Amino acid sequence: MEKIAITGIGVVSPSGIGKRQFWANLKSGRSFIKKITRFDASLYPAHIAGQIDDLEKYSHISERLLKKIDAFSHMALVASEMALQDAGIDIKNEDPSLVGIFLGNAIGGWLYAETELRDLYLEGREGVSPYMASAWFPAAPQGQVSIYYGIKGFSKTVVSDRASSSMALGYARKVLAKNKLNMILAGGMEAPVTPYALLCCNTYGALSKNNNNPQGAYRPFDKQRSGFVIGEGAGIVVMESIPRAQERGANILGVISGYGTTCDGADRINCASDGKELARAINMALSDAKVNPEEIGYISLDGLAVDLWDNSEIAALKLVFGNNLKNIPLSCPKSMFGNLLGASGALDMIIALLTMEHGLVAPTLNLEAPVLNNLNYVAGEAREYKVSKSLIISRGRGGINSVLVVEKNGGKK
Amino acid sequence: MDIKIKVKEVLANLLKVKIEELKDEVSLINSIGVDSTEMVESVIALEKSFGVKLSPKEITKNSTINDIVNNIQPKLSTE
Repeated sequence: MEKIAITGIGVVSPSGIGKRQFWANLKSGRSFIKKITRFDASLYPAHIAGQIDDLEKYSHISERLLKKIDAFSHMALVASEMALQDAGIDIKNEDPSLVGIFLGNAIGGWLYAETELRDLYLEGREGVSPYMASAWFPAAPQGQVSIYYGIKGFSKTVVSDRASSSMALGYARKVLAKNKLNMILAGGMEAPVTPYALLCCNTYGALSKNNNNPQGAYRPFDKQRSGFVIGEGAGIVVMESIPRAQERGANILGVISGYGTTCDGADRINCASDGKELARAINMALSDAKVNPEEIGYISLDGLAVDLWDNSEIAALKLVFGNNLKNIPLSCPKSMFGNLLGASGALDMIIALLTMEHGLVAPTLNLEAPVLNNLNYVAGEAREYKVSKSLIISRGRGGINSVLVVEKNGGKK
Repeated sequence: MDIKIKVKEVLANLLKVKIEELKDEVSLINSIGVDSTEMVESVIALEKSFGVKLSPKEITKNSTINDIVNNIQPKLSTE
């Protein structure tokens, strides 16, 4: 399938808002995991997260609109604006029927929902905001961004747990490759730092309870791993065909050249332990990109920091890359700011683009004693590598596998 | 308080718009681009504020401030 250009990046994350700040913090290897301060979470078994406290400073959204939307839509609006600015696109100059929006989300807008549900039981039906119906559901950000910019083309929201935004990017590429649209805003957003969403994440059972050491809690692939840490934010990019991007003189930040997805079909919650279906998704993505495994210069790991998930991820990589795996830099930079669930894949892809741009692989934090010692983990601090092709792995509950291949300037060194 | 001033204050506060944007003789859709959900919210807020029953059929996006005042005024004297 045709390669599709990425020409703009918008990122809202606990490690920074805007790609410059985000990358500066990532390359410094600084953790942004803290105790939750938005509400009293002290009685939750896990009460640490990557939290965003200064979104308003970067936002141009009116008070009138803000009262109608949840935080995850707000994050998507800010990230979309940044992506469009970065791409040098004024959407007023586009044919709105040929602009689309493809976003991924896992859990919806719970801060809005739970507040209104509380009011429903306290005050009755008249206590509930009429915006509740359109604020909480996972496709709300797609709707809000499309209304804000007058986008009228074919659009989708993908809900597929932590693989949501990776799938949205893969789907967006497919639509652009078929020449159905001129450009797409694609990515994902998640706002799980709310009382009810945090409760659900706790019930899932895979969160680290190392509340006394927030910055050391998320330690994927480490012998002392104890689960992941949630984070909130959004990652949205501008995607368009390479000829269109070249014609308008855009800066092509990278191209999506391959995508593969499979399901383990093994368990309601867990992935399969053998990694075979993940390996099949990786092979699909590589084959789609017409890239040999030995050409991959960086692998972005899903890194849930849970024994079964981490081990099966490495098992899958060994099946595909064999002995060459030890030569490829592997990292899970989300250990610095938390797992953004439905938005995690988009953030990982943005990190891969920045990695290729700067020739620097951002580190995995807290990976002090790897379970498997003979792999090329980039741990603790960033390391220089010239990377032209990256593989990005995203996985969701129950064994959903979603894999992207992205290349620098069409893969040319 | 003058009913018109109160209507404007309720709507401005609720919809986060400036009082000057609410014109006496211009419909809400044309003055501030009000949407249907905002109208539902506005009717509820006006009912609470004036202690009267209002129908969403009587107060619509096409209503002006004067229309709303004319709708509320007779109800104040009877309810």
